Amino acid sequence: MATVTNWIDHLNKPAEEVAGAIYPGAGSSETILVILGFIVWIGWTVLTSKSESEELERLSRKRHGANDHKSNITEW
Amino acid sequence: MTDQLGALTTIFTEFYYWVTVVLMFLIHVGFCMYEVGASRYKHHQHTLMKNTMLIPLVTVTWFLFGWWIYWAFPTGPGLAPSIMNESTALITDDSAFSAKFYVATSPLMAVNLGDHISGVFWAAFLLFSWTAASIVSGAIIERITTFAFGILAIAIGSVFWTIDAAWGWHFDGWMLKLLGYHDAYASGVIHAIAGGFALGVLMVLGPRIGKFSSSGEPRNIGPRNPWLVTIGLFLIYTGFWGFYAACNIPIFDLGPEYGMEGISYWTATNIYVTPTTLSGITYNFLMSLSGGLLAGYWIAKGDPFWTYSSGLAGIICASAGNDLYHPIQAMIIGMIGVVISYKLHYWVERKFKIDDAVGAVAVHGYAGFIGLVICGFVLNGYPSSGYSVGAMWDGTTYATINPLGQFIGALIMFVVLGLIPGYVIAKILHGMGKLRIPRDVEIAGLDYEMMETAKKDERVVSSATR
Repeated sequence: MATVTNWIDHLNKPAEEVAGAIYPGAGSSETILVILGFIVWIGWTVLTSKSESEELERLSRKRHGANDHKSNITEW
Repeated sequence: MTDQLGALTTIFTEFYYWVTVVLMFLIHVGFCMYEVGASRYKHHQHTLMKNTMLIPLVTVTWFLFGWWIYWAFPTGPGLAPSIMNESTALITDDSAFSAKFYVATSPLMAVNLGDHISGVFWAAFLLFSWTAASIVSGAIIERITTFAFGILAIAIGSVFWTIDAAWGWHFDGWMLKLLGYHDAYASGVIHAIAGGFALGVLMVLGPRIGKFSSSGEPRNIGPRNPWLVTIGLFLIYTGFWGFYAACNIPIFDLGPEYGMEGISYWTATNIYVTPTTLSGITYNFLMSLSGGLLAGYWIAKGDPFWTYSSGLAGIICASAGNDLYHPIQAMIIGMIGVVISYKLHYWVERKFKIDDAVGAVAVHGYAGFIGLVICGFVLNGYPSSGYSVGAMWDGTTYATINPLGQFIGALIMFVVLGLIPGYVIAKILHGMGKLRIPRDVEIAGLDYEMMETAKKDERVVSSATR
């Protein structure tokens, strides 16, 4: 995974190689990482959307009045 | 300075660090707002003063001895030889970066036309010290005496974190050589140690009155002012930009530094003097912040307090390797850190009755610890330094980054230099009867008399006719 294992050896390489990507898996892992990025984004959207719907449903079932929240304001 | 390019490089570096100090000041403003917002009204002013007074206490002691410790202790002492003088003793000789130049009586610790860097670099590290002390401050609000906190703030801010910085952050630190320790933006050297220290203090200090029911069930207290907490945390985010920048050297020629004849390579470097870019770490900062926010929002079911704190925890978890990670790696690492820290916070709270008022142990301690361990796997095989590469435990060369070294490093930060000193000092203060405020004062509120006086003044003024 390590793209650089010795900085002195790395800086002794041709200039175009020195001035390149140095993250782990450079040149071989980008596609997987981007796919993971999409999975995280879409997965998060699905999960939070589901839990939001459940919460809204639970709240609407209680049929609170427009002023009920006023009795829940804390004065710590 | 006699040549223009040299002068430009020096004065750019001087101004660069100066700007980081200004930005990092916002971290402390944020911590003050955050703590006041999280405390109850009857404790507001004492909470604010406690965190404010760490500024002079840590600053003065940092000037007197904290900065000297950083330059003197990289070798342990006695654990690995310095690359400057090949000795394992404290570095106090005539070496280039010897602690003798940073003793409080040194002419470099003042206005000196021959040195444009020491003061701003000293200040950047000082702001790290404030951050370490401030992390502890939040966890223990509403029941600690200001005296005890002052002692604890100096201990973490001017002694223990500077020892860990000498060991694991200094380019000559023994942890780099023996363990291959890597912690570019301080997952361990600031966050894990401060979180561990806070946990040690909390174990002795005990919970706020009312935090646990008679059956031991934890109750939620506050925050009194969620909006102040919000602004406070946003300011901490803002200050973190300065924190990250201050962990870099903005411009440096690595060819001569590494002893490479005829090679010149100008770059920004991390604190270990290995190459990175401010541009690259900007990706990683924002992606780990985002990973933390996403994970925090999900796991805390949209709770604002935990969501904001998780943004911070995401950055903290990825910080150890954010000089080298790919942005998506940084994001995923931030998410992992948040989920584990959140779960661990509530488990520890229930199991051990630990009342961490702002989740500081989780956000800084657990996230920092986890970040160090993950870094060992993701950056396995990278050199911990540019100067030489060798084997673990060798000591004369620098080991490469590896999972075991990072795990041991995390234990040193969280437990050895954090939890144990915090626990021992708190025990001593407790034994002296100086740690915790009296029960009746805690119930009435630390600000009771201030509020009573203010009320009387208000009555008198409102009834005045001239």
